[in-house]
Amino acid sequence: MKPAPFAYAAPRSVEEVVALLAEHGDQAKLLAGGQSLVPMLNFRLARPEVLIDLNRVPGLDGIRLDGGLLRIGAMTRQSTLERHAEVLARCPLLPAALHFIGHPPIRHRGTVGGSLAHADPAAELPAVLACLGGEVVAQSRRGERVIPAAELFVGLMTTALQPDEVMTEVRMRLPAPGAGWAVLEVARRHGDFALVGVVALLELGGEGAIREARLALFSVGPTPVRARAAEEALAGRRPTAEEFQRAAALVEEALDPDSDLHASAEYRREVGGVLARRALTQALARIPGREAR
Amino acid sequence: MGPVETPPRRAEELAVIGKRLPKVDAWGKVIGETKYADDLILPRMAHARLLRARHPHARIKAIDTSRARALPGVLAVITGADFPPVKFGILPVSQDEEALSTEKVRYVGDAVAAVAAVDEETAERATELIEVEYEPLPPIMSIEEALAEGTVRIQEYGDGPNIHKLVSLEFGDVEEGFREADLIREDLFYFEGSNHLPMEQHAAVARWDPDGKLTLWSSTQTPHYVHRTLAKVLELPMSHVRVIATPVGGGFGGKSDPFSHELVVARLAQLTGRPVKCTLTREEVFYAHRGRHPVLMWVKTGVTRDGTIQAMHFRSILDGGAYGSYGVASTFYTGALQTVTYKVPRYKFEGCRVFTNKPPCGPKRGHGTPQPRYAIEVHLDKIAEALGLDPAEMRRRQVVEPFSKTANHLTITTCGLEECIDRVVEASGWREKHRRLPPGRGVGFAASSYITGAGLAIYWNEMPHTGVIVKIDRGGGVAAFCGSIDIGQGSDSVLASVVAEVLGILPEDIRVVTADTDLTPVDLGSYSSRVTLMMGNAAKEAAEKLRGLLLDAAAKKLEVSPAGLVARGRRVYLRDDPERGMSFAEAAQLAEAAYGTLAAAGSYRPPRRGGKFKGAGVGPTPAYSYTACVAEVAVDPETGEVRPLEIWIAHDGGRALNPLLVEGQVEGSVYMGLGEALMEEQIFRKGLHKIPSMLEYKSPTTLETPEIRTILVETNDPEGPFGAKEAGQVPLLPLIPAIANAVYDAVGVRVDEIPITPEKVLKGLDQKGKGQEPRVGPERFPRVSFPEPIRVESAFGQPADLSLKRE
Repeated sequence: MKPAPFAYAAPRSVEEVVALLAEHGDQAKLLAGGQSLVPMLNFRLARPEVLIDLNRVPGLDGIRLDGGLLRIGAMTRQSTLERHAEVLARCPLLPAALHFIGHPPIRHRGTVGGSLAHADPAAELPAVLACLGGEVVAQSRRGERVIPAAELFVGLMTTALQPDEVMTEVRMRLPAPGAGWAVLEVARRHGDFALVGVVALLELGGEGAIREARLALFSVGPTPVRARAAEEALAGRRPTAEEFQRAAALVEEALDPDSDLHASAEYRREVGGVLARRALTQALARIPGREAR
Repeated sequence: MGPVETPPRRAEELAVIGKRLPKVDAWGKVIGETKYADDLILPRMAHARLLRARHPHARIKAIDTSRARALPGVLAVITGADFPPVKFGILPVSQDEEALSTEKVRYVGDAVAAVAAVDEETAERATELIEVEYEPLPPIMSIEEALAEGTVRIQEYGDGPNIHKLVSLEFGDVEEGFREADLIREDLFYFEGSNHLPMEQHAAVARWDPDGKLTLWSSTQTPHYVHRTLAKVLELPMSHVRVIATPVGGGFGGKSDPFSHELVVARLAQLTGRPVKCTLTREEVFYAHRGRHPVLMWVKTGVTRDGTIQAMHFRSILDGGAYGSYGVASTFYTGALQTVTYKVPRYKFEGCRVFTNKPPCGPKRGHGTPQPRYAIEVHLDKIAEALGLDPAEMRRRQVVEPFSKTANHLTITTCGLEECIDRVVEASGWREKHRRLPPGRGVGFAASSYITGAGLAIYWNEMPHTGVIVKIDRGGGVAAFCGSIDIGQGSDSVLASVVAEVLGILPEDIRVVTADTDLTPVDLGSYSSRVTLMMGNAAKEAAEKLRGLLLDAAAKKLEVSPAGLVARGRRVYLRDDPERGMSFAEAAQLAEAAYGTLAAAGSYRPPRRGGKFKGAGVGPTPAYSYTACVAEVAVDPETGEVRPLEIWIAHDGGRALNPLLVEGQVEGSVYMGLGEALMEEQIFRKGLHKIPSMLEYKSPTTLETPEIRTILVETNDPEGPFGAKEAGQVPLLPLIPAIANAVYDAVGVRVDEIPITPEKVLKGLDQKGKGQEPRVGPERFPRVSFPEPIRVESAFGQPADLSLKRE
């Protein structure tokens, strides 16, 4: 069995898209890369009346570095972003995170905006956005609005996007030059959704103390989780193994994951702490001049 | 003309056998031209869907199909009432299934009604319009619940309220053996169940011809048994039923039962006057199931100081799911083959299969033996450690004696296990690695044995287990007909190769016609690793008869003795003067002119060499195959992740008729075993299978598969065609315990429960850190009232009696 019957629309402009959304509202589903939606259709977990295909809408893809902001068209394929030379140079964390998404054929089709809008709690890109900070742009017949990263993810597979809105652009804040980073996850198989994962960013100040540490964990709650207590505890401290261990303990303490069929809450919490410590250690090693220590 | 016996030939004299040849059906598969059951499209064909129960256990009070019937496009809606009140099941002792359930549903997924419609979507919508009124019954979802429940019954037969089968056998006095032991060890193990996960979902198409005869195309491993079941359930003479097995896109045991959808399309085709097709969804494949039984096991072994086994006592409880399927055989198989790998002079086995409200379990690659093999190989690893012995060496010293009998009266012919052990120990650097690798790295060893075809058919009869007809036409074209079905293992290639070798032509010169009950002689099916040996022997017999005719006719023409002729390279010629001879086609024409149409049949029935006690039917085989394995793993001590790094596996499958195919079987077994060892499991909550999809059910991919170093150890078994034994199942068995033992070597944690998930490893490490026993696994074995054992004298060490031949 394949999807239940649905009407199909292939608009040629954002105006047409928002008009269709205004007409069909939550009876419609937007088709981007289809890497999550199509399986849901095939399982008949999603039975939209109308499928609005975004793949023929011009102008929704593209990558631009705009000062400290990385601007990514929502329909940009994950593989395009993964292999983008400037992105690799300025924000290597992003390609590293993208590498964990499924397999190459999935990333060739899957889009950046699609993954964020789907908001799977085990997905990598929402955690990247939560870690880097930034915003997404949404359009509807009512106009355009900007949703800050911190407000985008509101619950399990739920975003602040309204049924009549289409995401058009993703803006991620580029890390400071010389910042260390790491993306780690534990999954049952290559390309699987993470049982638990972490995106880390580490910036040192003039004295070699930590200016800022950011840790975004995923698959440990309904949305990406910033480990605020650990981040605050690290700020201003020397980047030592002891501090990282202490931060890991704070991460473990703060996490309140659910058990599911693939991992228990206890496992996610314990391994969340382990990955946080390892990510901080890796991030530190990636800071120029710190490699050898 | 009688058959000309093939003299024993050396490998270098063989032209086809032993060569690395591509499969005869490879090209069609590679370019996507192979027609599987779901690819069949017949004129006016309708599509069927089944309505499946959403309750794990419930009485059916009423079924209202009126709304479904009224839906435009619906051609027929049927329930169990549309079938004769006849139950079926693969084993004569477990006739407990219905085409569509009439009184009760016994698991989520049990079929209760079916629709034929103009298309699949309409059929699916119609099933949603069928209203079934259920009276829910308490579901029984585990071994413990099944043993404890005395009132609510899933089935109305068996050896207890929810006990399908109890077995108790003792060979020799195990207590005496334990008294002679220096060390007695008891262990508990659990092996979770798994699905076969074939790439191809089950599909069937039925058509009735105007003459009142039924044809069923189905992706089945056992067309002959489906043939019998269709005739029985539809109350038709077998002569009016034709079953054609289509190329099977992966079976692994999961397509060895007759299934509801096969009977349903037959009935719907009859009612609608149209061909009807039904293809199961992936979700439905998990309901049809017949996968690996979850098994709880207890084993007690007494050994002397040097590790020599004096006696073994083994208990198993199988979680059978809702129906019998092959379960009685599976139960015996959890006990029967313990004695075939190492010398076990005294042996006691107690087995129990319970019914639960889950999809029925059945045979999956290794049928009932991977679970005990895992238990015993880990158990022996613990014993070796306790005695301070090298676990590989301890086992090597007590490999069974070739051409001897086991305690439970099984006859061993050739056994290349010692060499297999030596080869993997050598290749893997076992001695340098075991207990010597840095923390987080480890190696594990295990070995195994398996049957080359079940010694008995599923139903009692005196007839051959397989037959082959070979026909030669005037152009020298050769057709080989056999009921066997290629499920990807390469049986079509084996058939072509054996006939080609005997007739002196090439596999590509042969058309194989298989698995069509109207056209081909019976073969019992592609299960129990029986086809290469049994079909191969039959094919050899048939081809040798024809070769005799060809050589005879050619000899007359050449005015020489037929004994001086050979058939090779598409020619028949003088052994001592190869220039003198003729083409194969010319020899065929001479033979047809002399003897009439060139067709000959061969057939095969295995020797009857089992014991004489009740239960002796499971375990005997013409020959046992052997495998030894070393696995190396890396274990992350903080996340519990287990990464297999390299697998060394040596396999004694007799002579490899085609090493390429044998290696393929070994590698496929390793891959499948890795999935079972590390991730595959069925998960049920509130009676519901929670992960019936390829997205959620975790099975490894090529990316999780490490380097596999396959070593073929060739014995030349007198029972097999050109010395061949089996290859498809035994290599899976040692892989799982080898991984478990490697995990222990890496981090000192015993995971006595399959699959070995990161979570279990981490739990064991946490326990280790707290100074507790670093073991994760079952804690107790429930009370089962096993009957007094049938006591049989141990036949251990007696010489094999090979005079007990096929007749």
